[in-house]
Amino acid sequence: MCASPLDFLRSGPPPPRVAILPDSVFFSRAIAVEGAATRAEVVAQVTVALEALSPFPLAQLYYGYYWPEGSDRALAYASYRRRFTTDQLESWAGADLVIPAFATVLGLAPEPATTVVLASAGGLTALRWDRGAVPAMVLFQPLAPEAAEPERASARAALIKACGEARTLVDIAAPPAAQAQGSDSEFTFRAGDLTLRIPAATAAALDVRDKADLEALGRARRRDMLLWRVTMGAVAACLLMALGELALFGAGFWQSARRARVAAQKPTVTRIMEEKDLAERIDDLSTKRLLPLEMISLVSPDVALPKSPPAIQFLHASCSTAASLSTIQIEAQTNNAGEIAGYKTALEQTPGCERVEIRDQRTHDNVVTFTLVVTFKPGALAPASS
Amino acid sequence: MIRSLRAFFLGRLFREKLLLCGLVLAAAAIWFSSLSARTGRFVRAERATGSTLREQGVWLANRATIESSAQVAASRLDPVRTLDTTRLLAEVSAMASDTGLKSTTSGDPKDLSSGQFSVHTLQFNATKVDWPTLKAFYLELGKRSPYIGIEQFSVQVDRANPALLSANFQISSVEISKN
Repeated sequence: MCASPLDFLRSGPPPPRVAILPDSVFFSRAIAVEGAATRAEVVAQVTVALEALSPFPLAQLYYGYYWPEGSDRALAYASYRRRFTTDQLESWAGADLVIPAFATVLGLAPEPATTVVLASAGGLTALRWDRGAVPAMVLFQPLAPEAAEPERASARAALIKACGEARTLVDIAAPPAAQAQGSDSEFTFRAGDLTLRIPAATAAALDVRDKADLEALGRARRRDMLLWRVTMGAVAACLLMALGELALFGAGFWQSARRARVAAQKPTVTRIMEEKDLAERIDDLSTKRLLPLEMISLVSPDVALPKSPPAIQFLHASCSTAASLSTIQIEAQTNNAGEIAGYKTALEQTPGCERVEIRDQRTHDNVVTFTLVVTFKPGALAPASS
Repeated sequence: MIRSLRAFFLGRLFREKLLLCGLVLAAAAIWFSSLSARTGRFVRAERATGSTLREQGVWLANRATIESSAQVAASRLDPVRTLDTTRLLAEVSAMASDTGLKSTTSGDPKDLSSGQFSVHTLQFNATKVDWPTLKAFYLELGKRSPYIGIEQFSVQVDRANPALLSANFQISSVEISKN
């Protein structure tokens, strides 16, 4: 990791971990496939071809193939598994890609009749493209690391001759190194000025590792990506909440200003409310009169039933302007419960009465107590003069 | 920057990825819970304040109308004949005395004032009074209407002597300041 977190972020992602294997341990063959073949069909053709070419069963081979979508040829390559040491196998763990050195230049897509000579520690590898994106052949010439320049030149010439006539020759002094990925959709290799790109889907087929291991690795990658996306989702939610905090902080000032406005207006509003209350009370005093005794007189049993007044006694009467100017509530009692209905009927027939209600009837020792609520019609009450 | 972070994340061990993911998720959940609670409180407070402001706005907009309605109500009264607290108590006591009410009590008068106008309220009780005397007092009060008005009235039969009554009046008067 870099010296500071900022440097770490600025430096960008590290290049993918690509394990480059020596070409010397691989054999390769170009296989013709139908142009409209699917990847599954190509895989089947490649495995059949390798089984036919190799003296070992497929389970004892590390193999891969190069087949750009739609191409009419695939380049298959394989190596006997026992040619790799345990240490080499361990170094593959966690690698994004494990490929032979020549596979790094397969993304070149050169002109027809091009030969690429790739120098590596164990020798020289020549790749010949006659047409299309897939090389027609891959040849390897072993060369001692301490080999002199004339020996190298001679080996190079022999390789070029073996590949056939070439219109273009490209020399690559060392296997291209993997570059930091701009996107997940491709692997990028660089050798000098040469930049080689291999689409991720094609690169997956180049990987020589055990296919079951690759499947497990793919599952682990998908699981890790899911964790990454969930983490990023949570981080994005946190960023949104940070914005929400800022908005809430700003809104707090706005709300404080509104509260201050409410507090500033409150004394004025309270005064206006008191003025309204006062105005209503002055208006009530000057225009409306509560006439309690007139109401009691109008509903008294003697007035309601003058010919045969019932033996009903009033115990308590109350009224107020706040409730209603024309309603009186009277608690009364009688020894004869049968008189109550007749009394109510008589009150209802009184011209000034709008509504008569009898509530809360209770009996105790043959005495019935009840509440009488009488509402008078507007204008039915006149102030008494004597 | 995101690609660097992603490479760093993907380069960790599985348990470290799980821990990082869990920590970030827990932090987001706790933050969300706190933020949503505070947002809820803010929204409720904002609505309450908005409602109060609208209500205050209505009162302020009607200020002139309310003030003029008080003026109109007061214009029906002669300022000279309106009563302050002292005069209200004196007048009511005099009426009680003139009409023969003997057992009377009155509470502490209450005032509601807006500067120029005041309404004074007095609780007045009369006990052990017969119906004709009560009616006489009531009629006397009525003669001073609208300067003296009854806002609440209750009467009940005396338990010891059903021929006598106990009455309670809430009497109000308006005072219009002369200056």
